[in-house]
Amino acid sequence: MMSLLARFRQGMQAAIPIWIAFVPSSIAWGIAAQRHGLSLNEAILMSAWVYSGPAQFAVLGPLAENESALQVLVAGFLMNLRFLPMSTALTPFFRGVKRMPLVISSHVISASSFIVPYVQFQKERASAESASISTSPDNGHRNLMFFLGVGITSFIVWVTGTGTGFGIALGFPHRFDEALQFILPGYFAGLLVVEMKGWPMLLVCLGSLIAAVPGAVVSSGWGWLVTAIAVASWVWGVEQWKLRASKSF
Amino acid sequence: MEITRFQIILIMGFMALALRALPQLFFAGQQFPEAWDRWLRYVSYGLIASIISVTLFVSGSQVEISAAPRRGLALLMAVIIARVTGSAVTGMLVGALLTLVFGWFSL
Repeated sequence: MMSLLARFRQGMQAAIPIWIAFVPSSIAWGIAAQRHGLSLNEAILMSAWVYSGPAQFAVLGPLAENESALQVLVAGFLMNLRFLPMSTALTPFFRGVKRMPLVISSHVISASSFIVPYVQFQKERASAESASISTSPDNGHRNLMFFLGVGITSFIVWVTGTGTGFGIALGFPHRFDEALQFILPGYFAGLLVVEMKGWPMLLVCLGSLIAAVPGAVVSSGWGWLVTAIAVASWVWGVEQWKLRASKSF
Repeated sequence: MEITRFQIILIMGFMALALRALPQLFFAGQQFPEAWDRWLRYVSYGLIASIISVTLFVSGSQVEISAAPRRGLALLMAVIIARVTGSAVTGMLVGALLTLVFGWFSL
């Protein structure tokens, strides 16, 4: 049986692709934060305490422009809502672990550090079931160590990359400003198209992209938030209706 | 009372921690409804697309008409490159480079 430390190391090894992905993104975040006028402390605090790339990027503009605190918090909250299903999906694998270690460990849940352990745990469960091996009560602790091997090391890479990016941005002359300002929307657009699957996502993205402009003209603070929620809810509603209709036939 | 940027980040962090930790405390062994999961994902996508649009094409409550074509073109190229290479960072770098070049030629 693998020791807890070996399990942590196994998690670290599984996290290597995440580190590679986190290096450029965290540097991009550090550069964007510096160019939007955040201090180094604020950029690092955000990476370490909020630790959510999409939410950090999402609130950067409103935060830097001193928009209302409520607007920043609502945008951040909506972006981070996806942690609820991620964290919920992991809970069955941590059976037997006390609550306090779970609460502390949950801080390092991110999209990437969720997917890698989740896929690993699913695979292990499937192979245990096919071999008719009953899962030991210690499995929760071993799974937690694997998760921490992925989560803690990815977290360190993210925070270190932020500081590095911030330092890099300080060295750029101002004629590069427009290109540096493109980093945030360019990276977001890239993330969306790389993940793009199916018509609902395409409709949500295109609809929100177009609707945000008149939305922001009508209300610079809340317009883009409202249009995004409206478009997403509308597409979701149509998809739900189609799903129900197909089930009833 | 004025809330500082530092305080906003702290509150945002507490909210993120709550969303991560609450399921570990209260939802052990439960499944999140698939339909809700999808709605949350769509809202995230919608917000991201809106931010792209607002950052590139809107300043305050004004549309940046003169800069919109070159930024739109750079965005389109970034999207195509990201899709073809499967790398968001590569798309971003190409887009940023194009923005720089378009800016120099004042397109």
